[in-house]
Amino acid sequence: MATTTNYGWTTPDDTALVKDGASAIRTLGTSVDTTTKNLNPSTTLGDIEYRSSTANTNTRLGIGSSGQALTVVAGVPSWAASATSTLTTTGDSLYASSANTLARLGIGSTGQVLTVAGGVPSWATPASGSMTLLSTTNITATTTITVSSISSSYTSLQILIENFKASGDNSAVTIRLNGDTGNNYSWNIRQNTSGATAGVSSIDAPGSMGLDNVNDNSVYVVDIPFYTSTSAYKTGSIITGWQQNDGYWYSANGNFGYKSTSAISSFSWICSTNWAAQGTIKVYGVK
Amino acid sequence: MAKPEITIHNSETNEIVTREMNASEFAQYKLDQEQYKAKQAEAEAKLIARQAILDRIGLTGDELKTILG
Repeated sequence: MATTTNYGWTTPDDTALVKDGASAIRTLGTSVDTTTKNLNPSTTLGDIEYRSSTANTNTRLGIGSSGQALTVVAGVPSWAASATSTLTTTGDSLYASSANTLARLGIGSTGQVLTVAGGVPSWATPASGSMTLLSTTNITATTTITVSSISSSYTSLQILIENFKASGDNSAVTIRLNGDTGNNYSWNIRQNTSGATAGVSSIDAPGSMGLDNVNDNSVYVVDIPFYTSTSAYKTGSIITGWQQNDGYWYSANGNFGYKSTSAISSFSWICSTNWAAQGTIKVYGVK
Repeated sequence: MAKPEITIHNSETNEIVTREMNASEFAQYKLDQEQYKAKQAEAEAKLIARQAILDRIGLTGDELKTILG
């Protein structure tokens, strides 16, 4: 029996009997119907078809969701998330969560910066410099105020001493670090100098021979960078303002060296007479 | 003689102790006092010497400050 060229539908032979025509047409129609359905399996709005591995048979691919894009998975078409569908919110960014896999990164908050965590991008608050108040010590009527056990978790120390005064006239004011009374200090404040190459046993504060009991509203700021270093000697700077017993207001700045490779963990503020019971010592850790 | 007092503020525990100086602290205190007095004497000697020079050349301290600007 004859067949069509492309789809092999059965058709009557030239010698077939007319009486068999109805049956032959029905057979041909059924074949056409079957083939057509195989080639056009769509059932739903948006369906598309693609060639399957079976000859003359297409496979239906239902429409994807809004924003998806046509891609290829295992050699056949497939709807998958697209850049557009992945981005759902204003400010979203795209990145690959694994090879050929899109992922969404929602926008961070104001001031955050893009960084990397766990191998993928993320928004984070940037690390920034800051000062942390480590302690506040009220100055008591003693000769020495020591702030001990200073945290070593910072890059620098700033020690702010304010509103201090001596209880007696012509008091000398000195600083020691780590309770070290050895000749391990040098300093240069205003025109003063340690005056000894071997070092001296403390750091003289400005006005150290003039601070007195009329002194008031004084401020003294000591900055010590790299105070936790265990390999380098220490250095620091001082700025200060104070009133001396001549009634004048003075200001000064200076620097000091401390020949020690120990981390600085304590600070002593020493008056040759007693301190008056006023003022505070604030120790800040600076990052 | 009562020993001077020292205040120690542990910034980690926030414990504040005010007590008399112990023997070694008091020894250092006395040494410091001697140094302070020596420095003071030196400073006073400088002032006297300065004043003697000013007297010799007939200038007051304020006039010298004016000259030095």
